[in-house]
Amino acid sequence: MLATVAQAVINGLLIGGIYALVSIGVTLIFGVVKIVNFAQGEFVMIGMYISFFLATRFGIDPLASLVVSMPALFVIGVALQHFLIRRVLALGDMPQIFLTFALSLLLLNVALLLFTANYRTVQTPYAEAAIHIGPLYVSVAKLIAFAVAMAVSFALWVFLHTTDLGKAMRAAAQNREVAMLMGINPERVFCVAVGVALALAGAAGSLLMPFYPAYPMVGQVFVLMAFVAVVLGTLGNVTGALIASLMMGVAESLGIQFVGADSGLIVVFLMLLVTLALRPSGLFGGWAR
Amino acid sequence: MRWLGNRGTLWLGALMVIVLALPLVVSDPFAIDIFIRVLLFSFIGVAWNLMGGYAKQLSLGHAAYFGLGAYTSTILQIRFGVSPWIGMPAGGVVAMLASLPIGALCFRLRGPYFAIATIATAQVLMLLFLKFRDFAWGAEGTTLPNLGNAPLMMQFDAKAAYYYIALALLALGLAITYRIERSRMGFYLVAVGEDEDAAEAIGVDALQIKRNIYLVSAFLTALSGTFYVQYIYFIDPNTAFSFNISVEAALVSIVGGIGTLWGPVVGTVLLEATSALLQSWLGGSGGIQLTIYSLILIAVILWRPSGLLGAVTDIYKRIVDPDPAPVEVANRDG
Repeated sequence: MLATVAQAVINGLLIGGIYALVSIGVTLIFGVVKIVNFAQGEFVMIGMYISFFLATRFGIDPLASLVVSMPALFVIGVALQHFLIRRVLALGDMPQIFLTFALSLLLLNVALLLFTANYRTVQTPYAEAAIHIGPLYVSVAKLIAFAVAMAVSFALWVFLHTTDLGKAMRAAAQNREVAMLMGINPERVFCVAVGVALALAGAAGSLLMPFYPAYPMVGQVFVLMAFVAVVLGTLGNVTGALIASLMMGVAESLGIQFVGADSGLIVVFLMLLVTLALRPSGLFGGWAR
Repeated sequence: MRWLGNRGTLWLGALMVIVLALPLVVSDPFAIDIFIRVLLFSFIGVAWNLMGGYAKQLSLGHAAYFGLGAYTSTILQIRFGVSPWIGMPAGGVVAMLASLPIGALCFRLRGPYFAIATIATAQVLMLLFLKFRDFAWGAEGTTLPNLGNAPLMMQFDAKAAYYYIALALLALGLAITYRIERSRMGFYLVAVGEDEDAAEAIGVDALQIKRNIYLVSAFLTALSGTFYVQYIYFIDPNTAFSFNISVEAALVSIVGGIGTLWGPVVGTVLLEATSALLQSWLGGSGGIQLTIYSLILIAVILWRPSGLLGAVTDIYKRIVDPDPAPVEVANRDG
C-alpha cells in the first residue's frame, strides 16, 4: 500500500514537472502582458512536432532538439506579441481571450491538415530504461524530463531575479504604469515575456517526445492542466504555478491509482473548484512574484 | 425594431415569410440540414449572448447546460417513457438548478478566471457522465428508440418539422432577449457588463443580476440540448458536453456582435454558410472548417472587435435606408 502510494507520488511529480513548464509560461504571460494564452498547449504541440521531425529526418535525439525548439518558439513568441497580441491589449478581456483562443483553434487545425490525427512517437535507447529502488521504479526518460524541466524553471527564476531584463519584467508585472515611468519599454518586455513563455512550452514539447506521442490535439491535455495550476497557484505567480503544477501531477496520479484510470482529471478539476470556492485568489494569493 | 426604420419593418416581415416558407420550397435534405444547424446554433448563440454578451460574463462552459438538457430529456424518455416535449422544459429546469451552484462558485471570479472555471465545470460534468454507466449509459452513450413518425415523442419523418421546432426555439430566444433588452433588467445587465464595480456603486446588485440572467441563459441552452439529441437520435458524454458547443456558442456571438439582439444570428449565418460552401468545394476533410473559422475569428477581432452586425447594418443603411434616421442602438455593444 505504502509502496503504491509512493509510486503514484513519484509518477505524479515527474509529469508535474512538465505541467510546470506549461503553466509557468501561461502565468508569465498573464503576469506581464495581462493576457491568458489559451494557445499555450498548441505551442507544446509545435515543440513536439519539431522534435519529432528532427528525430525522424536527421536522427537527432529529442532531448538534444531542445536547442532548436526553444529558440524557434522564442522567435514565434516575439512575433506573436508583436503582430497579434499588441493589437488587442487596449480592447478588454473578451477580444483578448478570443484572440488566443482562435489562435489555438487555428494551430490545432492546421496541424491536423498538415500532419493528420495520427499519433507520432520517437524511439530512443532510453525509452524503456528504468531505475529500481526497492519496490519502486522510476522511468529514466521521465526522470530526465523532470530534471531538465526543473533546471529550466530554475534558470528562469535566476533570469527574473538577477538580470536587468528579468527585473524589468517583474516590475512591469507588478505595476505597468510605474514601470514605464522608470524607463522600462513595455513593448520590449512584453515581447521577451511571450517569447520566454513559448520557449518553455517548446521545452515541454521536446522533453515529452521520448515518452509521449505527438498529435494535433495533444496540447489540450496540457493546457487544461496548466490553467488549473495557474489558478491554484494564483495567476501571474511563477513560484505558485510551479508548486501547484507538482501538486496537480501528484493529485492526478493518485486519482488514477485510487479512483480509476479515467478519474485523474476529475480529481484535478474538483481540486480547482474547491479551491475557487474557498480561496478564489488561489493558494498563493499573498506571495510576492 | 426602430433602428431598422419603417422600411426595415417591411424587410423584417419579408424575411419572416421567406424563413417560414423555406422548407416548402427547398426539399434537398442536405440544405434543410444546414438550415436546421443555422437555426440551432443561432439559438444557442442567443442563449449564450444573454450571459456573455449583455452581462459580459465570458462563459466557455455552456456545454454543461446543453448536456444537462440533452441527458434529462433522454433519461426521462428511455427510463420513464416521458415525452421529450415534457423532457425539454424539464431539462431546462435541471439546467437552471445546476446554474445556481455553478454560478455561486464562478461569479466570485472575473474575466479569464471566470472563463477557466466555467470550462472546468462543463468538463467535470462530462467526466461524471462518463462514470454513470448504469444510469446514463457511460461512455458508449445510447441511441434513441426510433418510433417512426411520432410527433408526440418529438420524432418526425419530415425534416421540415425539425426545422420549424428549431425556428420556434430561435424565435423564443430572440423574443426573450428583445424583452430583456428593453426592461430594467436589460439596463442593469449592460451596466454590470460595462463596469461591475461602478454598477455596484450606484446600487445595482451585480451578483443577483448575473445569477438571474444565468438562469435564463442556462434554461434556453438546455432546450437546444434536448432538440439536438432528438434530431440526431444519439447521445454520449462527448457529444452532449462537447467543448465545441461551448466554443460555437461564444464564437457565433462574437463574430456577429456580442450584446446585440441579432448578432448571434448574423454570426451563425456567416460561419455556417462559409462552412457549408467549404464542404462542397473542398470536401469535409478534417480541420479545414475550423481553420477557416479561426481565421475569420482572428480577422473579426483585429478589424471589427464589436462584431460584424455593425458592418452589416452600415451596409444596409447605405444601400437600403439612406435617410439619416435617429440611431439609438448603434453603439450598444460599445
